[in-house]
Amino acid sequence: MNGLGEHLKLSLRLHFRNRLALIYGYLFPLIFLVAFWVLYRHEKVPLLRHMGELLTVSVLGGACFGLPTSMVSERERGVWRRYRLTPLPTWAFVVSTAVARYLIVLSAGLLQLGLALAVGMTLPEHPLGLFVAFTLVAFALIGLGLVIATLADNVPAVQALGQCIFLPMLIIGGVAVQLASLPEWAQQLSAFFPGRYAVEAIQACVSGDGLAATRFSLPALALIGLAGCIAGTKLFRWDSAQRFMARSGKLWILPVFAAWAAVGVLAEWQSRISARVAAELAAAVAVAPVSKETPWLALTAKDVAALSFRVPSDFGVVSPYAAPDDEATDYTKDEVDAARRELPTWRPGLRGDDVQRVRNLLCVAAVPDAIQMPVERYLPPVVLQHLEDIYPRDKLIKILTWIVLHPDDGTVVDNIEALGVRGSAGDPYVVRERSYLYALKFIIRLTGRDRRN
Amino acid sequence: MGDSVVIRELRKSYGPTPAVCGVSFSITAGEIFGLLGPNGAGKTTTLECLLGLREPDDGNVSVGGLDARLFPREVKRKIGVALQSTALQDKITPREALKLFGSFYPDRIAPAELLERFALSAKADAPFDSLSGGQKQRLALALAFVHRPGLIVLDEPTTGLDPQARRELHDEILRLKRDGTTVLLTTHDLTEAEQLCDRIAIIDRGLIVATGTPGELIAQTCGQQSVTLITDRPLDGALWAGVAGASDVRGEGTTVRFRTSNATGSVADVTALLGAHGIELVELHVRKASLEEVFLGLTAAAPGPSEDPR
Repeated sequence: MNGLGEHLKLSLRLHFRNRLALIYGYLFPLIFLVAFWVLYRHEKVPLLRHMGELLTVSVLGGACFGLPTSMVSERERGVWRRYRLTPLPTWAFVVSTAVARYLIVLSAGLLQLGLALAVGMTLPEHPLGLFVAFTLVAFALIGLGLVIATLADNVPAVQALGQCIFLPMLIIGGVAVQLASLPEWAQQLSAFFPGRYAVEAIQACVSGDGLAATRFSLPALALIGLAGCIAGTKLFRWDSAQRFMARSGKLWILPVFAAWAAVGVLAEWQSRISARVAAELAAAVAVAPVSKETPWLALTAKDVAALSFRVPSDFGVVSPYAAPDDEATDYTKDEVDAARRELPTWRPGLRGDDVQRVRNLLCVAAVPDAIQMPVERYLPPVVLQHLEDIYPRDKLIKILTWIVLHPDDGTVVDNIEALGVRGSAGDPYVVRERSYLYALKFIIRLTGRDRRN
Repeated sequence: MGDSVVIRELRKSYGPTPAVCGVSFSITAGEIFGLLGPNGAGKTTTLECLLGLREPDDGNVSVGGLDARLFPREVKRKIGVALQSTALQDKITPREALKLFGSFYPDRIAPAELLERFALSAKADAPFDSLSGGQKQRLALALAFVHRPGLIVLDEPTTGLDPQARRELHDEILRLKRDGTTVLLTTHDLTEAEQLCDRIAIIDRGLIVATGTPGELIAQTCGQQSVTLITDRPLDGALWAGVAGASDVRGEGTTVRFRTSNATGSVADVTALLGAHGIELVELHVRKASLEEVFLGLTAAAPGPSEDPR
């Protein structure tokens, strides 16, 4: 065990002497975090809803690239061949390498968490649960890294293989793009990727119900990690001259695929994917009861003037707004025309009290913005025009002001397919955030503040 | 003293290609044993089977009385190895490397002692990639010695070293022997083998073709002397056939080489022959056959089997 400990200590020490490894291991995760913060800085609690994605991306980078790159480059140099001449067993080297990588990604994760707290994020709701979830996420993805290290014959092959896993996991695996925004086939496919369970588990502990909400994802991650570690140990190669295709025992790779497939099939069988997305959407489209009270009528011009009108630029990523001379192109024109045509009869725009109706109509601008659809900047003027058509200006300003002051009241709509615009944000919280921003932008225009600046 | 290493009928093939076809030899405790052979002769495969890097198809390998195939970990505790190229991470220091490798064994020598012994104290905390070739090889030797093994295996340890570093390494190897360590050495350098080795085995095409001390090999294989002479102009090759005791006559221009078991008679015949044809003798060298000539004599022929197609 002394050898294992020494190897672990030395692996960490050498990691901190490698500038490139430090850049990839620490700087990149921080850059990711800053990028997310810039993108979502208008959210009520910065980054809180994105820690699952951020921490998963960091672990993925460390496990799919950092770990196999360091293992394969040492194998190419002959370091592992030299280790093999010693009496320490294979598993001890594998364990110490994996534990060293776990400590590296854990430290990167803590750094990310620290920076997130520094820019205003609140403390995770279940810190101990977060530690457990993070550890299992790291276990699953480090297992994957060990498999990449056994499959790749050289460092360029690590990069190629790593990208083959990293990119699909980010895009259709539920890591960087929210599941509900993905097409149906991608949602089903994501069930077979460990990334989505990683995001789910971490996010549940940061802002959800904690480990109680990870009864499927944590065992799934443990199974995937176990399969990866077994295959990584069984297929471990000491010598770079041993090519993967030329070696015996290649079938040990099968448990890895079997674990991914088993988890995916089980998730599909339990209808976990559609159930989750449906639950999100159902919660979003629920119609609030009609209120006979109209407290917003008491709002005055002074209340409106007291609002904070700090909103993102109309030309930015968050809450974009087409300028009057910016006409929709052919590609998006059909969607804009369909939305304009259907809005007057769109059911959520007719249900509930005035505040809820306006809240629902704001979602027509908010949802495409949340998932960055090409049509996103053209819909807000259409919505504002419709609102102006059905409400007197003073009344509309008061309703919008009320919504700005009470962003969490009522319900929001996350599905605007009936208007001919396909896609949903999958997260009512983000729809509320964007609705709030568009309400402010509408008030700015209705009160002429845009002309004064 | 007993045998430190015994290899019996070792066989290893790579697919249909035989690399080692029944190699047998033994190394007595405390001696420096050289394993010589041309490229692809089976040296590396034999060594890899001994070190547990490769599983032999057949045969027995025992180290210090332990079967290497049945007790690989125990055998690894008895062997120290310095491979041809020392493979370590760029940024590891000699002190760290010695500490790390020492931790793999229950009984080990303190890094400071090894640094001192192998003249690495001044570079103890320098990164590995800043060491010279000689320093890297001394570190490899120190790593091999870190657990006081009874047997040290050195795979072409002086390849690529300058003469000074090579001499220092030779001194160190002789010191290991003086300390009672058994050394198994592979080398391409026959002078080195002749200087260092107590006994030598020559391997060719997967078989041991000769074993003995350097002197025995030279004597038993040839027992002859080598004659080289240079004349002022060429002489017809057919005339040399009459020289007493001459064999393996090779002429090239004004230079002629042959081997003889009767140097005195051969030289007398040569001078008479040259005098009869009015040819001037420019140079004449008579010397014992060298290990190199023995080696070339034993191994020169068709190319051997591929050693490691993997």
